[in-house]
Amino acid sequence: MENITQAIQGIPLNHYILLSAVIFAIGVMGVLIRRNAIVIFMSIELMLNAVNLLLTAFSAYRGDAAGQVFVFFIMALAAAEVAVGLAIIVMVYRNTNSIDINVLNKLKW
Amino acid sequence: MSQSLFYLIAFLSIFFSLMVIFTKNPVHSVLYLIITFFTFTIHYILLNAQFLAIVNFIVYMGAIMVLFLFVLMLLNLNKDTEPAKSNLLKMAGVVAGMCLLVTLVGSVKALNVSNPVVLTNPGLGLVKNLGKVLFNEFLLPFEISSLLLLSAMVGAVLLAKKEA
Amino acid sequence: MEAQSTPVNYLPIIFQMIVALGFVVVTMVVTHLVGPKRKTSDKLIPFESGIESIGNARQPFSIKYFLVAILFVLFDVEVIFMYPWAVNFRDFGWAGVIEMFIFMGTLLLGFIYVLKKGALDWE
Repeated sequence: MENITQAIQGIPLNHYILLSAVIFAIGVMGVLIRRNAIVIFMSIELMLNAVNLLLTAFSAYRGDAAGQVFVFFIMALAAAEVAVGLAIIVMVYRNTNSIDINVLNKLKW
Repeated sequence: MSQSLFYLIAFLSIFFSLMVIFTKNPVHSVLYLIITFFTFTIHYILLNAQFLAIVNFIVYMGAIMVLFLFVLMLLNLNKDTEPAKSNLLKMAGVVAGMCLLVTLVGSVKALNVSNPVVLTNPGLGLVKNLGKVLFNEFLLPFEISSLLLLSAMVGAVLLAKKEA
Repeated sequence: MEAQSTPVNYLPIIFQMIVALGFVVVTMVVTHLVGPKRKTSDKLIPFESGIESIGNARQPFSIKYFLVAILFVLFDVEVIFMYPWAVNFRDFGWAGVIEMFIFMGTLLLGFIYVLKKGALDWE
């Protein structure tokens, strides 16, 4: 029982950083290649979560709870962002009948 | 055995997050994103951050993702409304993302920190411990986050209730 | 009792999830394998209390539901901050109560705004 507990914490910190970097990069790619506004939003959530995981890993690594408290704030921020962002998407859909971001080119010049 | 568990879960998170951005149907994207967040919950448990795991489960998977699904159902998406971006643009996007990834990985390699994560304090992720830090060092951010939520509430109501 | 906090303690939960999921999967697979299959066109249509099904299931619905869902998420997030406060309630004393009341007061302000704006009125 005890040695399982010990073995769980033997992963190099680098691997957590790499995992977070890969997922963050996937989120960036999602923003760049998709045109559906909701999928773009989900990619942003993916990036936020990659950062959350990294903060937690650092928090466990340093033995400092501050990292995990930051994650709370990021979650509150994500909820606020989702609420306003989805409201904007719904308004865009009401006005243009589409959630393709390429329709929103009125400010382009 | 437990270390390979981490690599298995890490592989699953990367796989499902790739599925999120490469599936055509947005509803499937949301479902894959929920699975991705579930793998994140397991990561948190492995990192001994229990409260965070529960919060991730309740707030992210339970509330935020359901809201996404809700909006997707709210909009009329019977027909495939998403016209494919031109392949050139897609390639440019993938290349740009890869460039970012290479930069990040390169900088990690240059730093060369590779100490294993060893828990110095096993009670780190408990609610009591987190509460003490939250209400002592992070009291001001906590109060300000209430303002953030207030403004989000006002913004959402103003935007969604335009006719009033 | 001091709270235990190792990932190993989650083993029973994992077992429970495996058993729950396994039960569902096994039941579904076994019914498919064991039961006889007679597929007729009448049997394959979705059953709607004997009334013939009309149109698509994915009808767009009213924005009011969406507003309620958004407000639910925003108030749900408070849970993150409430639990750490509630667990440490005795240690913080009156200072903690005041701090939490400032937080709750701000959110209550938002709730009053929502009510005044009539966002939760159904008609």
